[in-house]
Amino acid sequence: MRVALFAPCFVDHLVPSAAIAALRVLERLGIVVDVPDGAACCGQPVANAGFASAGAAALERFADTFASYDHVVVLSGSCAVHVRGHATGIGDAGIRVAQRTTEFCAFLHDVVGVERVRMLGATLRARVALHIGCHALRGLDLARPSELQLRPSNKVRAVLATVEGLSFAALARPDECCGFGGSFSIGEGAVSARMGRDRLADVQAGGATALVTTDLSCAIHLRGVDRAAGGALPMWHVAEVLAGMAACDALDASGGER
Amino acid sequence: MRDRGEPRPLPVLDATGAVDHAAGAERFVANEARTTWHDASLWFVREKRDRAASTVEDWEALRDAASAIKTHTLSRLDEYLAQFEQRATARGITVHWARDAAEHNEIVLGILSARGARRLVKSKSMLTEECGLNDYLIGRGIDVVDTDLGERIVQLRNEPPSHIVMPAIHLKKEEIGETFHEHLGTPAGDDDPDALTAAARVHLRARFLAADAALTGVNFAIAETGGIVVCTNEGNADLGTALAPVHIASMGIEKLVPRAADLGVFLRLLARSATGQASTVYASHMHAARPGQALHVVLVDNGRSAQLGRADFWGSLKCIRCAACINTCPVYRRSGGYSYGSTVPGPIGSVLTPGFDLQKYASLPFASTLCGSCAAVCPVRVDLDVQLYKWRQLAVDAGYVSPVKGWLMRRLGAVLADPALLQLTVGIAGAILRVVPRPLARRLAGAWGRWRELPEMPAQSFRAWYRANRRGPD
Amino acid sequence: MPLGFAQRIVSRDDLVARFIDSAAGAAARVVHGTRAELATLVAGFSGDGLASDGVARFDREAQRVASRCLSMVPGVPGTVAVPDDPHALADLDLLVCEGVLGVAENGGIWLPASRLGERSALVLARHVVVVLARSSIVADLHAAYAAVDVSAESFGVFLAGPSKTADIEQSLVIGAHGAMGVTVVLLDE
Repeated sequence: MRVALFAPCFVDHLVPSAAIAALRVLERLGIVVDVPDGAACCGQPVANAGFASAGAAALERFADTFASYDHVVVLSGSCAVHVRGHATGIGDAGIRVAQRTTEFCAFLHDVVGVERVRMLGATLRARVALHIGCHALRGLDLARPSELQLRPSNKVRAVLATVEGLSFAALARPDECCGFGGSFSIGEGAVSARMGRDRLADVQAGGATALVTTDLSCAIHLRGVDRAAGGALPMWHVAEVLAGMAACDALDASGGER
Repeated sequence: MRDRGEPRPLPVLDATGAVDHAAGAERFVANEARTTWHDASLWFVREKRDRAASTVEDWEALRDAASAIKTHTLSRLDEYLAQFEQRATARGITVHWARDAAEHNEIVLGILSARGARRLVKSKSMLTEECGLNDYLIGRGIDVVDTDLGERIVQLRNEPPSHIVMPAIHLKKEEIGETFHEHLGTPAGDDDPDALTAAARVHLRARFLAADAALTGVNFAIAETGGIVVCTNEGNADLGTALAPVHIASMGIEKLVPRAADLGVFLRLLARSATGQASTVYASHMHAARPGQALHVVLVDNGRSAQLGRADFWGSLKCIRCAACINTCPVYRRSGGYSYGSTVPGPIGSVLTPGFDLQKYASLPFASTLCGSCAAVCPVRVDLDVQLYKWRQLAVDAGYVSPVKGWLMRRLGAVLADPALLQLTVGIAGAILRVVPRPLARRLAGAWGRWRELPEMPAQSFRAWYRANRRGPD
Repeated sequence: MPLGFAQRIVSRDDLVARFIDSAAGAAARVVHGTRAELATLVAGFSGDGLASDGVARFDREAQRVASRCLSMVPGVPGTVAVPDDPHALADLDLLVCEGVLGVAENGGIWLPASRLGERSALVLARHVVVVLARSSIVADLHAAYAAVDVSAESFGVFLAGPSKTADIEQSLVIGAHGAMGVTVVLLDE
């Protein structure tokens, strides 16, 4: 089983700690992980802004880079959704990569298995608000969206439930969008920021001491909104919790190992 | 009837006359308390919808069925329209065909003029809003009264509906109380919904009894029987059509279903999706005029056959106008109906309206985070988020985004495709951020920094760390 | 079998209970009776009968005696006949009619034009009494459309409770334009 880990552009450069955590988790699970050079981005940031043609080169590069792997583990739900939905348009390599691309938590849940994840023995004394990015939620079946009348399921929660000491804050609107939305956060800044404030208010009302997410793009936005209002809510990627790296703020610039 | 000449609340338009949704949204969201209230009002409806849907076994299968029926119907719409016309005509209904809004309005005026009708009572019809019927008729001497309470409220205020099911959802009861005090003579300061509704009942009952003609929208038309179905909670469509000597029903051509039995699927979904009710109070099936009355059905295209011909967007015609996507949309809830500048706001409006005029409505597909909640609530499974994404591509291809944004995005695309170039760009940005004071940096970061603190810049990227710690020095 | 949705086999009592729940959810009042008692029951709805029901809070006008009653149900006397001009029913207090079929899942009752006498009566009357046989209740709308030909008459309506609106700040108000109260008399037959 050849497994590649992909840290999307913004994770690579803005939240390297989460990628380091993900790598460690996979390694501790006995998975041989490769982090190939070649692709920096899947092209989603420009494609969702209406410039799919400008993002095509990045996506093609992604497909070329990861064509030979059995699993491409992406540290961002929305990037995984983008690849799965759009790489199919760029030939055989694209179709193969699209089928084999998944998100980190989905990989742990579906391929590794929750019981093996439990053997990591992660502990965290925190009451966390779970924030699953909307694309991952509805595009990868990471959890049952609140709109659907189906049996409840939540892969991310199942993975996090292996962490000793961790409890979940109940949110009034469990899967309300945080307002990031890529270029939306710039083009519709006022509404985007308002959505972020509302999301954080719900997290606070639920008594959460931290926010844990599958999507660091959401977290970078939420953190920006939170810090602009003088807040200090810790925000972590699921991988950081599992790796025992959630002691301090995931988005603080510690770089390197910590 | 236009009771007051004050200007309608308009969307924000840019220099080219295009709707600037972001600007309208920013204006709306600037009133924090009102935004909180508006968001909560709509979320309340979304939650009612969730509860109602949860009581139906196989809700998701019902959505599948509804989508399949509509898909089938649209695939042979010409045949079903012809069948509908034939069956309706056989029942004595006069069927009219309108290519566009202008033809629709002329047909309605023609029917009224032939009867010498001057007083028209209308029940809810978003199609007539789309066609600008009220202004057209009022300008030609017809007394037009909207009878749905919400529509009457906004008509008295000289405003368009801000929502397709709850036209006055943007108004507080105090504002409605003031409007009714001014126009209906209710006591100043009375904002009790019971009292205001009672006053509207008395006011409108007189209009119903005096009407020369009644116009309704159509929720469904049945091809095999030639009948129409109109759903209301207030009973205004029934009161109007049961009293007036002429009933005009205006419908978009996409409202057809093949068989009466199909309504079992759609009526189970409609009210639950719209308001969280198990059923509307009245679901009226009209298959012929009552004795002494004339019944006209106006079939309106107005861009629908063009939308049907668009491979990526025909699915929007499955829409049954329940507004569930509008209620759940986190952007609509915080930007209000007027920010869209279109008859139908929210996600469904943002995929329908660009089909009329992409240049004018190019900002609408961008008024979304693509969160997908809209598609997940849609009772007929319109893939709204996918269509929003596709309209964005077309808006960009047609050159309807700013040249600056276009240049930036194309540059960004090139940078993202090249890890070395990205590393260099981030390195430069990081170097700047390390020397520039934070407040200045936030200003330099434009729309991001206006609303948020900037992210920290780590000393080392993940890839750099990986090279150093896993691969060893090169 | 409509469309192949799961149709649990339920007892008549289950259907009736579900119908009563749904009708209550639509703000209709449900009472039980026999055909022999109908005239007495309906007479009780006049005057104090209407005033004392749960709907009367919204039904200020109903406190006066329901002197103008159109009855389409044999054995229940009315005071007005079906007029040529529907406007003549403008002050109608009470319509008494018999439903063809009730829908358990939503409390709707199928009322074709012939059962209303004059279709305007449905929305002009302050209060509507609908007589419905328990045996006519079906599970859902699929079953309802299978059981009735909705195109048989010029007009027919599924009626679920009194007229209502929530157009002012989402506040539910009973009695927008049509009936301010609906009473369903379930007949044990």
